[in-house]
Parts: sequence; C-alpha cells; structure tokens
Amino acid sequence: MPQVPIIMPQLGESIAEARIVRLLIAVGDTVVVDQEIIEVETNKATMGVTTLCGGTITELRGEEGEDYAVGTLLGILEASEEEIERTGSPVLGEREEETEKKFSKEEENLHFRSNDSSYEEPVLIEPSVRGLPVPAGVKGAHYISPRMRARMDELGLQAADISAIAGSGAGGRVTVEDLEKFLDYIQGWPRSSASPMRLAVADAMRRSWSRPFASVGLPIPMDKLLEYRSRQNPKPGLTLYVLRAFAIALSEEPTTAGFLIGDKVVHPRAFDLGVAVQVEDGVMVPVLRNVDQHRVSELAREYVELVNAGRERRLTPEQTSGGIATVTNFGTFGLKWGTPIPLPNETLILGLAAGIKTPKWSDEVGAFIPVTETELCLTFDHRVVDGGGAGMLLQRVGQLLQEPEKL
Amino acid sequence: MSVTYIDAIHQAQLELLREDKTVFLYGQDIGDFGGAFKATKGFKEEFGPRVLDAPISEDAMIGMAVGAAINGMRPIVEMQFADFSSVAFNQLVNQAGTHYYRTGIPIPITVRMPCGGTPGSGPFHSQMVESIYAHYPGLVVVTPATVSDAYQLLKESVQLDDPVIFCEHKFLYRWLKSASIKGDGLPLGKARLTRAGKHATVVTYSAMVHEAVRAADRLAEEGWEIEVVDLRSVKPLDIDTVLASVARTGRLLALGEGFPWGGVTAEVVSRVVAEGFHLLDAPPLRLNAKDTPIPYHPDLWAAHRPTPESIVEKLRELLNL
Repeated sequence: MPQVPIIMPQLGESIAEARIVRLLIAVGDTVVVDQEIIEVETNKATMGVTTLCGGTITELRGEEGEDYAVGTLLGILEASEEEIERTGSPVLGEREEETEKKFSKEEENLHFRSNDSSYEEPVLIEPSVRGLPVPAGVKGAHYISPRMRARMDELGLQAADISAIAGSGAGGRVTVEDLEKFLDYIQGWPRSSASPMRLAVADAMRRSWSRPFASVGLPIPMDKLLEYRSRQNPKPGLTLYVLRAFAIALSEEPTTAGFLIGDKVVHPRAFDLGVAVQVEDGVMVPVLRNVDQHRVSELAREYVELVNAGRERRLTPEQTSGGIATVTNFGTFGLKWGTPIPLPNETLILGLAAGIKTPKWSDEVGAFIPVTETELCLTFDHRVVDGGGAGMLLQRVGQLLQEPEKL
Repeated sequence: MSVTYIDAIHQAQLELLREDKTVFLYGQDIGDFGGAFKATKGFKEEFGPRVLDAPISEDAMIGMAVGAAINGMRPIVEMQFADFSSVAFNQLVNQAGTHYYRTGIPIPITVRMPCGGTPGSGPFHSQMVESIYAHYPGLVVVTPATVSDAYQLLKESVQLDDPVIFCEHKFLYRWLKSASIKGDGLPLGKARLTRAGKHATVVTYSAMVHEAVRAADRLAEEGWEIEVVDLRSVKPLDIDTVLASVARTGRLLALGEGFPWGGVTAEVVSRVVAEGFHLLDAPPLRLNAKDTPIPYHPDLWAAHRPTPESIVEKLRELLNL
C-alpha cells in the first residue's frame, strides 16, 4: 500500500520549528482525512498537525517534548490508492526518487552530505526553508562595526543617514567601502546646509523613533466647541481646548503618559503639556504648566504668549522642557489625519486634524444635518499603552470637548 | 653562497666572542661536541675556556650565569631545548628578572632557547616558551623569524644589559636560507611589515611568519591582500606598528605556534581591542596550536600547529565576518 508522509507543516511566516506537545494517535490507529493527530506548539501558538488523507498509521517518528524543523517527517500512514487519488496526497516513494535525483545534481553544494554509503540516512522529505527566520547572530544591515562607527562619527553621520546604502558586507552589512562609494555617488548632487533647527528636529525624531509607535484616530463633532468658542472674547485657540481636555483625560489615567524605564513605569509628576508650533524649517514645542488644574480662560494668556514666543523663536529652555505629552494642530494645513511622532522624552502626541463639514444622519431631526467633524489622532509608545487604552483616552478627550463650557 | 638561520646564530656568537672579552658561552655539550644543533661548532678550538660545557642542570646553568653577570660578564647560555628551561624557571624569573630592580645591578645574560616544533619531536622537544617568559617583568623576549634577524637580534640581545630570552626556532635552523646575513638594521623592539596588504592583518612571529606569508600567497590568488606583521620581539611588543597595520586593514588575526590559553596572541588581541577598537571592522581572531601536549606523529603534529591551510581557513572566516 502507498505510504503518505506526516510532516511538520509550515505553521506561520517566521516559524522554523515547533515542539510536539502531544501525540493524539498511535501506530496502528485508523485516521480520516484532515484529522488532527499531533498537537504542536510554537513560540506563538499551539496548533495541530493534520492528516493529508485517511488510512492507518504505520510509523511515528516524532516524540513528545521534542522540537522538529518545519518539513521534518514525523510519521507515515498507509492509505489506499483510491484515497490517495481522491485527496491528491503525496506518496513517499515518488518523493524519494524526486529528491534523490535533485541531490545528485546539487551534490557539490551539499558538502555536508557524505557520499559514504555505509550509513545512509533515508532522505524522504527535504526540510522546507521557506519562511525561516533570520538566524541568530547574523549581523544584517544594522550591524555597524567599530571601524564603521568611527568613520561615521568622523563624518557626523547617524545610522539613519546611511539607510539608502545596500550593504555588500557579510550578512548584508554596510562596509566602510560601501559608505565611501555612496558618498562619492552623491558628491555631484545639488545640496544645501541643514539649519540648526532642522538638525535639532532630526536628532529628536531619530532618538524618538527607537520606540515601537502606533497611531489611532477618532472622529469627533466640533460644532459645540466651535459655537461656544465663537461667543468668547477674546477667543482662545482651538488647540488650547484640546490641550485642556487632553490634560484632564491624562490626569484621570496617569499611567497612559508614563515612561517605561527598565521594569518600571515612571508616572508624570505634573500634567504639563507641549504645543507644537510650526516655525521656518522646524517645530518649536513650548510647554504649558499644570494644564489639568487651570481652566481655559486662565490659561489663555500664557498660551498666546508661549505660541508667539515660539513663532518668534525666543523661547527659553525652561519654557520648552518638562512636557509629558504634546498636542499638534496640523489641521491648520488642511490635513485630515496624520501620525505625528512623540518627542523623545514623551510617550504621547495628540494630533488635531482639519474640521470638515460632513452630512450626518440625525435620528432626532430625521434628516441629514451638517456636522463639522475632525479627527483626533493619537500616536503612542506601544510598550506603554495599547490600542484599547489609547482608544479610551481619545474617547474621553472627545467627550470632554463636547462640554466646552466646563473646560 | 647562502646562509642558514643556524649559520646566522653561529656567526653572531663568533663575532660576539671575538669583539667582547666578557662574553662566554655555557651549555650542555657545546664544547667539543659543538652543541646539539652545532650552533657552537669550532668555538672550543678558538676560544678555549670561554666555551664551557655545563652539567645536566639548567637550574645550575642559569644560576651560574646570573652570578657571572653580577660580576660583569655577558654570558650566553644555550638551553639544549627550550622545553627544559622550565627547570631553571626560578633562576630566570625570580633571580635574573628581578635582580636589577632589587639591587641596581643589571644581569646581561642571554639565554638561547631552541624552541618550536619539528616533525617527530613530540611534547618535550617542540614547545614555545615566549609567552611564559614574556609574562614576567624584567625579561626581554626575542623571537626572530629571519636569518638576518637571528644574527642581528642575537648580537643586540647580548649587548643589552637586561636578561634576554632568545627564542630561536628549530624548524628554521637549516630550512631557512638567505643570500645575506645583513638585514635592514631594524632595531630590537620594532616590528617589521613583512608583507603589505589591505584586507586583513596577520600579526605573528618566529616560524609562523613564513606560514602566514604562504597563506597570504594563496589568498592573493583570489584577490585578497593580506598584511603580515612580524613582531620580532614579543616583549617589548611594538603595538604601534600593529595598530598602524590594523588601521589600514580593519581586521586582525593574531597567529602563534604556542598553546592557545592566554599568551602572545591573546596579548596582541587585547592591546588592539583596548587601544584600537575604533579601527576594527570585525572581531579580532586568534589562531594557535591546540590545547594538548604536542604529538610525536608528523601527521598529528601537522594538525596540531597552525599551517598555511588552517591560516587560510581562519583568514577566510575573518574576511567574512
């Protein structure tokens, strides 16, 4: 009777091997097609190995508690010709011939395969190499040797600056020669000096980007806030209301703005929030103090002063330090959404998109009514906050903005 | 007419004996017999009592030489094999090495150590001793790789006021030939760039210099340019020349015939990592003999010490890091 292999399947993109947790069958058992016969565990999940067709288990090679590479022959089952035809299952004999032919052709490359015929391991299934994870220890493009680091320091380069270079070194790493070639290549290109402001932003963003960020967005109606604000004199900035709502929401859930340092989450000491101010060739972020404890009306003057000082680029270091989160209003550029990057010393940044008038169905009125809607976009350090926490924080901010008179 | 490495040692001693009345030779069977390797052949006739046969006690030999040095002599002691100098270890490291520090009286002795492997010599007649003596302060350790260095460094060693461990490689005695005994005049303490290259540096000394050059020749066929640095003396260690070479190549293989635990190759790697970390493009590697007694059988011996084949293999590893 034809023999059908039981193989450790490809269990996921990056899974190279799996451990047998439990054998659910024994030699001699009769199985049907797609029956789960072996329970295996990877570093991601527990899954089942299923039969390719029905038949009788004649051999089991896999043992419980042992790890096997993807493609390893774990056992053999015997099936009738009809069953094999019906399920289109591979049969061991055929594969054997096929693989043997292949090996003799590639013999030179397989130097680890001995020609010694005294003991020949039965080659039945070639282990799959599809989806193998990068082996540990391979340097890859991110390995920068001390020599390379010294040359980059000499040129004032950061790792991000050489992302354009495809490395020719071992494991694809970028060598000093690659770097010199690249510098020669861009030698004749038009260029300009980056301003100190540009370099400062670049440095902050590069430092910040070492963390795993995620972004979420929530559309909120703005009509109540816009209407309330229009009645104030003088009119506080729209961003200030968002700052205030953000500070209140954070003060209710302080860990959300916390900092992960080693195994500790460091909580904010005060709810001092920054506001991003676009200036020529960069961004300034003045910080408003204790936003959770003062009403918008109390904060308005200081807010205007800080924003103006930012635009004129005459902020003192004290005025830009100590923020725990930032609000950026990119809606002023007509943008509908964005994924801003938090400052290196902050976990969160809240973006305010452009208000856009859209028709919304109203059950009360029984018709479509115009609603000014804007997107609140929150980027967060996913080590500290999850999508759920970020979502709840945004919901709370949106809720607070519906009662502008209380802010 | 070519000169061998042993000829150079013979010639240097001859000149030293003729030029300096305080020089005398002391060793087992060095008189009428001319020494186990004939390094003192014919000296007895010319210099008579200045060529002294010693009893089979290395301890007594060095002890006597230290005493003679205190009294203003410049003895050259021939160990029959470097391996047996361990018997005189106390006299060498505790007496000779510390005497100037303790008393202000220098000990200008030179101990000739026939060291290194030759086929079939086994565990007691093949060992390298430079690493153990270099460990101790007060001793200079010289490891010539060329005919002219054997000549010149021996002469400089005897003229030096410090005790010198002169490691002459037995494999090179008659195998290594040169057209002239005169070299480039590079002084003791300076390393030599034996071969220029740009992809990797091999830092080595003694007989391994020649194996490294052969390995570099093979890799040159594939376009790799390997630089070879001959330390010439392992103490003092010319780290400047080594660092300059690593600055050119970015990669270091420290090669030695001694055992792998610690030693000169480890010292070279340690110094380069500490002083030239920013020059390195790959982790520095070492290649030494195996960590076992040295085998008798020529095949086993060949597998025990670094060979051009194993050096090429190691260099490939280094070049692919």
